[in-house]
Amino acid sequence: MLLEMKNVVKSFGEKQVLKGVSFAAESGKAFGLLGRNGAGKTTSIRILMDVFPCDSGEILVDGKPIDYSKVAFGYLPEERGLYPKKRISEQLVYFAELKGLCRKDAVQAVKYWLGRLEMSEYADKRLDTLSKGNQQKIQLVTALAHDPQIVILDEPFSGLDPVNAMLLKDVVKEQIAREKTVLFSSHQMSYIEEFCDSIAIINAGKVVLSGDLREIKRNYVRDRLVVVTENAEKIKRDFGDSCTEAKPGELIIRLASPDDKQSVMKRLVESYDVDELRVYEPSLNDIFVEYAGEQI
Amino acid sequence: MRQFFKILKFELTGHLKNKVFIGMTVVGVVLIAMAIFFPNIKGLFKSDGAAEDTGDLPVMLIRTEDSAAGELTKQYFAKAFPDYNVTVADGSAEDVQKRVTSGEAECAFDIAGNSYTYYVNNLSMYDVNPDTAEGVLRDVYRINVMIQGGLSEDEAGEIMSVQIEGNVVSLGKDQMQNFFYTYIMIFALYMVILLYGQMVATDVASEKSSRAMEVLITSAKPTSMMFGKVLASCAAGLIQLAAIFGSALTFYHVNKAAWGGNEIINSIFNIPVGLFVYLLVFFFLGFLIYAFLYGAIGSTVSKLEDVNTSVMPVTFLFIIAFIVVVFSMTSGNVDSTVLKVCSFVPFTSPMAMFTRICMSSVPWNEIAVSIALLVGTTVGTGFISAKIYRVGVLLYGTRPNIKEVFKAARKA
Repeated sequence: MLLEMKNVVKSFGEKQVLKGVSFAAESGKAFGLLGRNGAGKTTSIRILMDVFPCDSGEILVDGKPIDYSKVAFGYLPEERGLYPKKRISEQLVYFAELKGLCRKDAVQAVKYWLGRLEMSEYADKRLDTLSKGNQQKIQLVTALAHDPQIVILDEPFSGLDPVNAMLLKDVVKEQIAREKTVLFSSHQMSYIEEFCDSIAIINAGKVVLSGDLREIKRNYVRDRLVVVTENAEKIKRDFGDSCTEAKPGELIIRLASPDDKQSVMKRLVESYDVDELRVYEPSLNDIFVEYAGEQI
Repeated sequence: MRQFFKILKFELTGHLKNKVFIGMTVVGVVLIAMAIFFPNIKGLFKSDGAAEDTGDLPVMLIRTEDSAAGELTKQYFAKAFPDYNVTVADGSAEDVQKRVTSGEAECAFDIAGNSYTYYVNNLSMYDVNPDTAEGVLRDVYRINVMIQGGLSEDEAGEIMSVQIEGNVVSLGKDQMQNFFYTYIMIFALYMVILLYGQMVATDVASEKSSRAMEVLITSAKPTSMMFGKVLASCAAGLIQLAAIFGSALTFYHVNKAAWGGNEIINSIFNIPVGLFVYLLVFFFLGFLIYAFLYGAIGSTVSKLEDVNTSVMPVTFLFIIAFIVVVFSMTSGNVDSTVLKVCSFVPFTSPMAMFTRICMSSVPWNEIAVSIALLVGTTVGTGFISAKIYRVGVLLYGTRPNIKEVFKAARKA
């Protein structure tokens, strides 16, 4: 299944929030939707889920306009919250039923997921008696219990301890393996890098970069070298402004042009005592800062 | 539709399990039971013996200038004030005043010819003793004149106490008889709409502030949510009323004998079935139209504290409708132009038309038009509210003004 958003425009009052957003997410893969706060991620997600209509543009599934009665969405919103005063199993069953499961299936699914997320003991407790991280795990059940084809996770890892984060990672991997379309929205780039095959960066209502993450990285200008060395001071003095110290004993040298790579490497090896020398691989963080850093 | 029933069921069980709801219903039933078994309860506390009762009667003193006239006056006063122990007082006006101030007597009449002075410690707002006394004195004066004219005291007394027999047959509605149950029903309608309407607003606002809305709005259609929530609270309100009125009816039938010939109580419990059906129709529609408004307003509020101030305009509208209806009812003028107009305006018609039907004769076509208008407006309000809701629930921060909300709702 290919889920596409094409040229979606949306205004709230006078303010145009989305200025023609397009991206595509494939099933069996995870897709990362990145952007700074207020860039238009949540609005895009809401339009995708038909919470409100877009002014123009379209949502396609396998090239055809989406039929919401046939495609099920699971959604973990960034702003978490359910009914604080109601029993956990009761409200989870209710949400699963709202999403279309019959009561029997809903009860069974909720039981399974509470077990899977190691939350079975809390089934009969009130939600507000739980810690924040545990409440988040409960909320994850509402996104997954009805076995949706498209899973949208907005900042799923924030607020989870490392053990729970590991548990969630397993669940996400399992969903991807089951041919689900997983859509991530996060500021924690490491998780996006770990899961996502393709990404789209939204800045001020526009997609400024999108595509296969590995390709993006490969095409990213390779004009920096990493130098691990004992005589950092000397190199810094000699290379001047183009050299910055990433951490003690590790320097980053920006090349005037990628073509200078060979010559600069040669010079470094010959003139200084260098322990390690390699081309700097851009992290998603670098790419994000570069593309989303400036408001357009 | 499936979603709508799921939501209805979830919300309704929520209401029925709510401790406040259960508590309120139980308290209501207990109060009704106490009211209906009041004659029996009163009987339990009353000590036996009527003799003691007369001893307990408060003393009313009567002082007249000449004692011959005093005896006749006392006779008539005793007849007119059966709740008092009427005693003739000798001595000066000061003595009489002193006896009232000391509490020995509750009140006193100092009579000189056709004028009197009434002494009482604290004049209550509802003290009708002077009015009664005036009537008695007028009678005494007339009797005296008749005696002077040559009639005997008995003949004069007979003339004064001549009985007139009359029958009143109301060919339309008997306002007096219908007044009490109409009043009770209108008041019940008022209480339930105000209570449950505000509850709908608070419910929506709290779903929004707890952010449960984020999941809800992506799981169900706003129309299902709005209609499910409103109809659930309507059902809860009806269940509560049914519990209270149902137990009232049962208690009344169990205890019918104790009330004997109390016409007010009997008239309340003998509400005609036709009117009861109208009551249900107007209750249902009136409840819905206001609950939709309350729900829509609740959805535009981000903080629970703001709910009360935000729903104020709707509450005012409703209270004004209530006041107009009750004023018309108590003045007995239920066919006034104001009430007639109100009985067609959808937001006032549930109470106004119901009152007119109960207390006057309304042509069936007027009722039909009023109900049709109300049904149309209710359904319309429902859908507009759902649209406002859809836009409102995702707006956080400062509360949007009405114009902005409508503009956004039209686009949604």
